[in-house]
Amino acid sequence: MLEAAKRSDDVRDAVPEPARPVVVNDDAVRLALAQHLSRISGSRTEIVSFGRKSSGFSWITYAFVARSAAEADRKLILRVGPPNGLFAPYSVLPQVYALQALANSGVPVPALVSSEQDGAEIGFPFFICAHVEGDVPAPWAASELDADHRRAIARQFLEILASLHRIDPGATPFTSLQQGEQRAELRAISGWRASLARPTARYYPLLDWGGRWLHDNCPQPLRRTIVHGDYRIGNFIEHNGRIASILDWELTHLGDPHEDLAWAMMPTFNARSRKLYGVLERAEVVDLYQRASGIAVSDKSLAFYEAHALYQAAAIQMCAVRAFEVDRFNDMRLAVMASQMPSIVRAFERALEAAA
Amino acid sequence: MSASFERLIDGIIDALQSHVVPNSSDDFVRGQVFSAIYALNGLKLAADWKAAPLLEQVRLQDDTFAAVRRLADGLVHPEIPATPRTQGDMPDVAAIEALRDDGDRRLGQLLLWASGEGVRAVNGDVATEIEHLLRRAICDQLKIELATTPKSMLQQIAGGERDGGAAPG
Repeated sequence: MLEAAKRSDDVRDAVPEPARPVVVNDDAVRLALAQHLSRISGSRTEIVSFGRKSSGFSWITYAFVARSAAEADRKLILRVGPPNGLFAPYSVLPQVYALQALANSGVPVPALVSSEQDGAEIGFPFFICAHVEGDVPAPWAASELDADHRRAIARQFLEILASLHRIDPGATPFTSLQQGEQRAELRAISGWRASLARPTARYYPLLDWGGRWLHDNCPQPLRRTIVHGDYRIGNFIEHNGRIASILDWELTHLGDPHEDLAWAMMPTFNARSRKLYGVLERAEVVDLYQRASGIAVSDKSLAFYEAHALYQAAAIQMCAVRAFEVDRFNDMRLAVMASQMPSIVRAFERALEAAA
Repeated sequence: MSASFERLIDGIIDALQSHVVPNSSDDFVRGQVFSAIYALNGLKLAADWKAAPLLEQVRLQDDTFAAVRRLADGLVHPEIPATPRTQGDMPDVAAIEALRDDGDRRLGQLLLWASGEGVRAVNGDVATEIEHLLRRAICDQLKIELATTPKSMLQQIAGGERDGGAAPG
């Protein structure tokens, strides 16, 4: 393991000490990155304009330029999964599979350059992909943008989701992520329940009860597709009025396509509006999606996955609290997430009532 | 909360807002600063009211336990604690918080029991009534927590938004 991943508690005394934060040293990451790119390209590579980006609550993202004598400068993105991050321990596989399987498909993704699950050179799991020109629209800034512009983007957003759900998952590496006999949808719920049941997490009775309800009442999908897992306004790059790339594939799995649709329509990701991107009514979203995907939307399944979305949001918030308080991941944004829990749990209770 | 403590927090917030935010063009740094301001605002509220809302939650839980005990009379149910669980003054916030957390776990056990097949087969109407009572009470408890939660700053926190300010404490 390189210096970038060195823990401050690597040398242990006889007396156990409290866990100390894992320090992701940007300078060490940069050095290791240069060595990695030099090795895989066969040409000495220099890293310039290296900097951490604000976006994302989970993987640490760096933007940089790779410079070597062998080829022109390349603007690239490095994403690193820290051992004390929101969803640690990290696997690069969902992201790598997505970038590989969806290249040249109807779903725009950045080109994958390199990846390592064991993170031997950088010290953490990581992948490198091409930089994509454009902006990442913030969900809460929707009201500041022109409504016609947002409408055009929202339509593309749905068309791309439909393209994703039309892909035969059997022809992609995602099937290899399938483990055991349990239905994929149930396994995902079980995973969030286990996360919420960790002894260090505060106990919320409605989440315990609601998690069981979701597990017992999860609809059988009419069709199992690739599910992005975090498909929402804010997880794509827009350039000149077009969606140039869909981002953040870390939660991608096989499951019920209603899951992505319900997640995308959460008011949290739409400037607190019930309309997608603040412009498309729910009925219009369903209609556009159905026509583009050929997948019939079930009101009952959509209501179930709207409750599921809030449950998952609550579980993610608790992961953030744990990352900050227990694993001591020093990002103040994670610390304040705990205060969102009461409102999310109440919304979840109401959504369950609607889904029951 | 003492005046000096309040002044200290106000001073920190002011320093961050007046000096750090305007002089940083790095979005990540700005996100960190806005988060710190948010946390300090929350600390002010917690310092004032931490014990009181916790006690209010414990008392609400006790009322719920008493109501469930009455409704569940004659049914085999998870243990319901004797109430009231608080005696006189309880200045130790950690002790009240532990009581609240224990109450949450017991409420969860009762809710799982009331919505389970076993009790519904014995008396479905009463089980449904208990389930609704528990859900309503737990939501009321969450409202108490919301009253001591500072206004959301998710927008500024997540993106280090340039023109945003701190929510008033």
